[in-house]
Amino acid sequence: MKRVVDVNIPLGPIHPCFKEPARLKCEAKGERIIGVEVELGYMKKGIERIMKGRPWQEVMFLAERVCGICSVIHNLVFIEAMEQISGIAVPPRAARLRVIANELDRMQSHLLANFSYCYTIEHETLGMYLLDLREQVMDELERLTGARVTCAYIIPGGVRCDLRKEEAAALLASLERMEGDLRRYTGMFENGPMIALRSRGVGILTPDAAERAHAVGPTARASGIAVDCRMNHPTYRQLGFAPVTRPDRDNFARVMVRFDEVFQSIGLIRKCLTDLPNGVVRGRGVCTAGEVRYSGEAPRGELTYFIRSDEFGRIVEIQIQTPSIMNIEACCHEMIIGSDSIADVTATFISADPCIACTER
Amino acid sequence: MSLLQRIKNKVRARSIHVAYVDVGSCNGCDIEVLACLAPRYDIEQYGIYVHNNPREADVLLVIGAYTPGWEEKLAMVWEKIPSPKAAIAIGNCPISGCLFNRRETFIDPPVRKHIPIAAEVPGCPPRPTEILQAILSVRDSVFFNWEAEHP
Repeated sequence: MKRVVDVNIPLGPIHPCFKEPARLKCEAKGERIIGVEVELGYMKKGIERIMKGRPWQEVMFLAERVCGICSVIHNLVFIEAMEQISGIAVPPRAARLRVIANELDRMQSHLLANFSYCYTIEHETLGMYLLDLREQVMDELERLTGARVTCAYIIPGGVRCDLRKEEAAALLASLERMEGDLRRYTGMFENGPMIALRSRGVGILTPDAAERAHAVGPTARASGIAVDCRMNHPTYRQLGFAPVTRPDRDNFARVMVRFDEVFQSIGLIRKCLTDLPNGVVRGRGVCTAGEVRYSGEAPRGELTYFIRSDEFGRIVEIQIQTPSIMNIEACCHEMIIGSDSIADVTATFISADPCIACTER
Repeated sequence: MSLLQRIKNKVRARSIHVAYVDVGSCNGCDIEVLACLAPRYDIEQYGIYVHNNPREADVLLVIGAYTPGWEEKLAMVWEKIPSPKAAIAIGNCPISGCLFNRRETFIDPPVRKHIPIAAEVPGCPPRPTEILQAILSVRDSVFFNWEAEHP
């Protein structure tokens, strides 16, 4: 079929709004966008190829560096998959500490995503407030794990270091402060008339389209689909986890779902800290041969590792499925189509929070 | 030193425009560069502005281990930057390839093979303060008296 295209507009790979290189080729008819294709391939390092044949001690650090923004969840899913293979039990205190680290990481990732969105719609003030709040979350992450990014906190059979009593008290106090600040910033976003003009009704992703594109994470939950791998995780089930959804399906909903999830993460950390069991944080165990497919909920959606290891704990076969692949598909082929202006393309693309480093590995 | 040079030195010291290009990193260094924008580090108080537009940049921050997708493009980006210019390698990846530099990999480090690098900031990832310090050191060593030294 012949398509009438007025102008082809390439965006990227270097673009003021994109954190990472990706190229969007937009087909516009007048101002209306009728088609978008994404061109990837700027970040392909071949991590899965490097991982094969290496001991788990090395693969653990490589897995963390699949994505620098959500490094804790890659660490968590890889280590829990190795624990499933080898039948290693985790002490209850370590299981709670893992949840704390994971939720702090989710908070900083969501705040960064919302900062990017605010920066893209040129609301720089709110963006800077959120980035400042993110620095406080990074401080807490550093206090708990010893590093800001790529902290390698989770190891088979537990976590690397314990949380002292005074550190737990400091964490609780700063959660209190952050929650107050975040409530104010969320109110600014929710009630801002200009933000509503730029965000409400832009980039609609219907539940049917989300299922067709297999959207996951906050992108799917903003379309009213309650998918969240944390519902199947034993520690989260103890904490009474229920996913956050919103029915309104647009850019505004996707950002608000992330704000809601930050509040939810604060609640989960608080619950972990109030009844933190006593005991050791490092158990015992040896990684052995086996094969497993294991999923966890990354800040952007479902993350799956398929691992086959040999008797010495070396990785023979590994496949990683990251959430951004599906979300970029949903974004380019469902959300952006029919946008009223080229300015909405970047905003819609950023609202799906694509992570190119994850996607290409 | 001529009067014009003195004015240029004074103005240039408070106006450094930065573009960053990710040539295949894990994103960890990208977000540490973004964190420099945060009010805590406040990169703009030193007169450093992040625009991410190579045509108006003075300093190019190169992040990542040089993947095949960037083979001709990184040099093109470097050529688009007007002189005087400097490139800073952020993180271990552009220096050595870090832990991606193994058998079977696609990357081709170090980046200094492909474009001239003025400063290197090791770390996986480096802290925002270290990135800030590197940009400030390049400002003093590369841009100071540039016209007098490059007639």
